[in-house]
Amino acid sequence: MSERIFGGVLLLVSLAGIWIGWDLQAPMSYEPVGPRAFPLLVLFLLGLCAIALMLEKTSETVWAPPPVLKRIGLLFLIVLAYALLFDKLGFTIATALMTVPVARFFGGSWKQGVVGGIGLGVGMFFFFDRLLDVALPTGLWLNGILG
Amino acid sequence: METLSLLMDGFAVAGTPENLMIALIGCFIGTVVGLLPGLGPINGVAILLPIAFAMKLPPESALILLCAVYAGCEYGGRISAILINVPGDAGAVMTTLDGYPMAKKGLAGPALSMSALASFTGALLATIGIVAFAPLLAEWAIAFGPAEYFALMVLALSCLGGLVGDSLPKAMTACLIGLLLSTVGIDANSGVYRYTFDMLHLQDGIPFIVIVIGLFAVSELMLMLQNEHTASEPITITGRILFNMKELMLAKWTMLRSAFSGFFIGVLPGAGATIASAMCYAMERRMAGKDHQFGNGDIRGVAAPEAANNASANGSLVPMLTLGVPGSGTTAVMIGALTLYNITPGPTLFQDQPVIVWGLIASLFIANVMLLVLNIPLIRVFVKFLSIPNWLLVPGVAAISLVGVYAVHGTTFDLILGTLIGGVGYLLRVMNFPIAPFILGFVLGDMMEQNLRRALSISDGDVGVLFASPISIGLWVAAAAMLLGPRLMRMMEQRKAVTA
Repeated sequence: MSERIFGGVLLLVSLAGIWIGWDLQAPMSYEPVGPRAFPLLVLFLLGLCAIALMLEKTSETVWAPPPVLKRIGLLFLIVLAYALLFDKLGFTIATALMTVPVARFFGGSWKQGVVGGIGLGVGMFFFFDRLLDVALPTGLWLNGILG
Repeated sequence: METLSLLMDGFAVAGTPENLMIALIGCFIGTVVGLLPGLGPINGVAILLPIAFAMKLPPESALILLCAVYAGCEYGGRISAILINVPGDAGAVMTTLDGYPMAKKGLAGPALSMSALASFTGALLATIGIVAFAPLLAEWAIAFGPAEYFALMVLALSCLGGLVGDSLPKAMTACLIGLLLSTVGIDANSGVYRYTFDMLHLQDGIPFIVIVIGLFAVSELMLMLQNEHTASEPITITGRILFNMKELMLAKWTMLRSAFSGFFIGVLPGAGATIASAMCYAMERRMAGKDHQFGNGDIRGVAAPEAANNASANGSLVPMLTLGVPGSGTTAVMIGALTLYNITPGPTLFQDQPVIVWGLIASLFIANVMLLVLNIPLIRVFVKFLSIPNWLLVPGVAAISLVGVYAVHGTTFDLILGTLIGGVGYLLRVMNFPIAPFILGFVLGDMMEQNLRRALSISDGDVGVLFASPISIGLWVAAAAMLLGPRLMRMMEQRKAVTA
């Protein structure tokens, strides 16, 4: 069933892509094949594959049991929040905040999460930013203090 | 003889103190990434690539680092296979069959040292194979025009699509999504904005690193949560560490045979380390005669898959270096690394960038000696890494991944895009869509389109040009055979099984 639903979504995506792509015309053209042909070809084949996915008799996808699936969804949201706050809060704080719940998911205790988070945040900041010269965000709050 | 002097130049590049240091660090990191269950060569290379780029390493050093990590992963996978019966990476699946029984019998030391030697034999033979074959292949491919190139890339995609995954539409879908995403951004020929949805950050296209980290790091974390198994205690190494003469004599031909076949399997696009190790294990088992111990801890059972998977990992560098067409997910990521440095992969690479190509080949020799030295006496150090708990490892990997993405443009947009791609990647992987064709499609997409348009420009729009030369016809036939062949054979076998 999952494959069928995915195939249906994919078919809609490829139709929408063809709809949008139809207008991709170069105002001045020096070559027989413009910017439109390749994406349209790919989308056309993708649409065919989507139909094939809907018709195909394959083994059913086995999803994780609901409680695990819920935790995986939460993990995804945590990483998304981490991505959102990475620049704003700065690497150290964002990493420490992300580590605590993720550590809990993977069987760590609260104490391990907090200690690990602070360790990762501070340790990796020094390792990358200072030692390897890979610039990391310090965060708006620290910039405010440092002026 | 020219090859030899070029190789010597390569050693001069790879032998500078800085590059030696980089190779050593790469070998160490690679072995650790390889032995951690869940993280394999493709994750290791994907996570380290942006960091190497951000550290502003010159291209040859960055490639040396990535290749050392790649080589190290193939060594590392066997450690967890032997000690906890969980393969550290996909190529080490077969090593569990005899490695773990050996360890249970108290022979963990000989199993580890013999598999290290087998890994070394495989890698060394394959690197010699690269030196022997790659320049020839590159010279032959230099005559390729855009039409042949287009057909060659179709062949590469069909090889991968035909061999991996359980269903053809799934493999093709993955590959087409990759191709489609590669068209996002300003079209270089006409200046038309394609699928940017008026977003400033999409004008230059989706950054390669964002896709790679999303697909191979973010989605991997979610899979690790799904497949979390109670970590079993590694078996402690007792008794002798080194294999004895009798064991060496028993395994020497196995190693050489497996190294040979592994290399040639690796050169074929699509067939990677996993297939090579499975085939060689099966072959050796059949050849072993009656009184073998395969499955219960035969020393040949660890030598065969390890020699094969290392040989094939190195062999898969041949199409990548000579044709610019990667045959596996990991080499696709490395091709992406070249394009980050504005180096166009392809047969001209040997002429235009001898420093990079030969430096890389020389560094493979050096890295393998380092790995052998690291892996026998220091094995107890690596075993310690097996006890890194997941509650520390997973947030660490998440942080390193985002550091890599952030290092490219420093925008929140990229971080969020990468995470979203990771979420979609997780869904695709759970539904059994193979991911290697996805990344290969994304890497090859731009080159495919450019070559197609160039070919059709030359012919003034006549599609027949794609099938005009004997080489391109041969490539098209091969592509069709690779795409449909494995499936037809499977169907025929099934029919036979039903009627019998």
